[in-house]
Amino acid sequence: MLALRLGRRSGTAVQLRRLMVAAASGGTGFLLLSSLGHALAHPEAPGAATVRLAWCAAPLAATVYFAVAVARTDPGTRPRPGLSAIGLGPGRLMAVSAVTTALSCLLGSLLALLFFLHLRGDLTGMPFDGGAAALLAAGRPLPLPAALTLLTLVPLIASAATALALRPREAGGLRGAARRHIADARRREHDADTGAGGRTAPATGVGTGVDTDVVTDVVTDVVTDTGLDADTATAGTTTGTATATAPATAPVAGAAPARLTAVPDGLPWGVAVLVTGLGVAGYANRAGVALTPDLSLVPAGLLAGWALAALGLALIGPGLTHLCGRALQAVRPGAVRLLAGRVLMAEASRIGRPLGVVAAVAALAYALVLRYDLGGPVLGPLGVLGAVLVAGCAAATLVTAGIEVRQLRADTMLALLRVGAPATTLRACAALRAGVLLAVFGPLTVTVAELASLTPGG
Amino acid sequence: MEAPPDNDVLWARALHFTHRDRTPGLNGVSLGVGDGEILAVGGPRGSGKTTLLRCLSGTLTPTKGEVWFNNTPVHTLGPLGRERLRRERFAWVGPEPGLVAELNVWENAALPLMLRGMGRRRAKERAVDWLERLDVGSVARRNPLELDQAQRQRVAIARALAPSPTVLFADEPTAPLHRADRVHVLRTLMAAARSHDITVVLATGDLEAAALADRVVHLLDGRRVSNAQLPPAAGTEGRAACSLSV
Repeated sequence: MLALRLGRRSGTAVQLRRLMVAAASGGTGFLLLSSLGHALAHPEAPGAATVRLAWCAAPLAATVYFAVAVARTDPGTRPRPGLSAIGLGPGRLMAVSAVTTALSCLLGSLLALLFFLHLRGDLTGMPFDGGAAALLAAGRPLPLPAALTLLTLVPLIASAATALALRPREAGGLRGAARRHIADARRREHDADTGAGGRTAPATGVGTGVDTDVVTDVVTDVVTDTGLDADTATAGTTTGTATATAPATAPVAGAAPARLTAVPDGLPWGVAVLVTGLGVAGYANRAGVALTPDLSLVPAGLLAGWALAALGLALIGPGLTHLCGRALQAVRPGAVRLLAGRVLMAEASRIGRPLGVVAAVAALAYALVLRYDLGGPVLGPLGVLGAVLVAGCAAATLVTAGIEVRQLRADTMLALLRVGAPATTLRACAALRAGVLLAVFGPLTVTVAELASLTPGG
Repeated sequence: MEAPPDNDVLWARALHFTHRDRTPGLNGVSLGVGDGEILAVGGPRGSGKTTLLRCLSGTLTPTKGEVWFNNTPVHTLGPLGRERLRRERFAWVGPEPGLVAELNVWENAALPLMLRGMGRRRAKERAVDWLERLDVGSVARRNPLELDQAQRQRVAIARALAPSPTVLFADEPTAPLHRADRVHVLRTLMAAARSHDITVVLATGDLEAAALADRVVHLLDGRRVSNAQLPPAAGTEGRAACSLSV
């Protein structure tokens, strides 16, 4: 009930985001039900039905990724002092956000079920002259438990992922790069060189935040499945890189406060995975593969290669974004370049991950349409729905990450405005950041797509 | 419209301000700040000090009344004009340092200079110069998050003073500090302002701090009063009344 009450009072933009989650969940639910329909219509070929079901994992992963991103930006379920004072701390709010996510997804699933039944003609006779009858096994009765199981899949996974992403953590609960740097710092503690030499030294330590709400909402960093590529849906690897720390006031004994602009890790791994993926795809493609719309006939090598390449792109996203920021503020920067570059460095893990995913999806779309001639109607209505879902979720997640960054940077913006920074300067910073990211990730996407669809032997 | 007195750099007449939720903020406050003067605005929390400073600095537009800065009517300026005024002429130090965490200390201090179009090298020289004057020169290359609160507040003051503003608005600049740091930071601020002939409007709830200023103006419930000392609480009268009602 509390989730509903908190949810009801939020603004239009938030409701719109929740509706988009519902739409994505509905689309995925519909795809899952269609795979059930296909299995019902073709009981003689369980293999093909299984392949169809497996393909649904891609939109499923995209939907969950998007739902988590939306839950993280939801101002209604963000820890705040007022609720904290009456005992509704981060732990309970995590539950509230999980419930909110589940509600949005359930709404979508319900709509998907209704639409599915409508198309099958179970509700009000056959629409569209029975055009969808063959696809959805209109003649046969629908096994209700199976349908319900499939439909609860998205809400369950999405709310579990949300709870995981927003679980309350201590400010010290950093992972990856930050934790390693703390260990380094403790080792270097004896060197007693705490002077001004810190500029190029790796970031160290954690901060003890004062007010828990800032801490939890900044430190809940990316717990997102990066294995989110359009063609295979490799399982979600939670490689969130933690760079952000709360505005620390008291340094923890033995470790200096963290630097906001720490390097996110994963770049070397990402490059390795990406290159491996390109190699595997190239090897599988050495004689030239002609893909057909029947997705069960995609060669395993090509699939694995693309999956690795996409995973690699998602992994290098943060590191590459950080590098962009570093390059931007490199040689004798003025105010605009300095601000743009440093902000990009600080927000590398938040913006970079969804950006990498978008690059992966875009590379795949580029290759499918331009190299394999599989664009548009050739894929069939369900294939197009799946592709639109994946692409839409990836793009919407990127936009949502942008919103999240904007929310988190509100106080910095206020500080800058206090200093008297003109709005045009801030806009120029934003435009510069977007331009640099586009200039780096655009060519990268095209290159990866071209390399992955290369036929070395042909 | 009456012109402001010649020797006053900043001048307000009959300022009224009502917050958006209809809470009264200011109720007819008039004051003038002379050139190079350090004026303390005293009063307890909620007496309208911050609102007055924000009206004077053009962050808020008063509901009624006039604010003049050197023959410029601040209350009729558009948002762009006020933004330019804040950037070119005013500086603001709040209770929170408000530093940009992504930039290091000297970059923070040099940012207002760079925003005014000064070259990087000159901005850096000047920023570091000011940081040294405020005893934080040794941490100029560190990140603000690595400093303690008093150091950060000093950096914020250096950032405000570096562009040589005409008027510095200091809104409880020492509120989050311990008393030793408080006095030190405040003295440094005053000394720097006096030596550079910067007019300071200082809001403070602390009488010791107000004693360092040239003149003190007291506010109480959004009105200017001659003395903000409240009468001492009546002894046991209230308690007796309470026990009677039980």
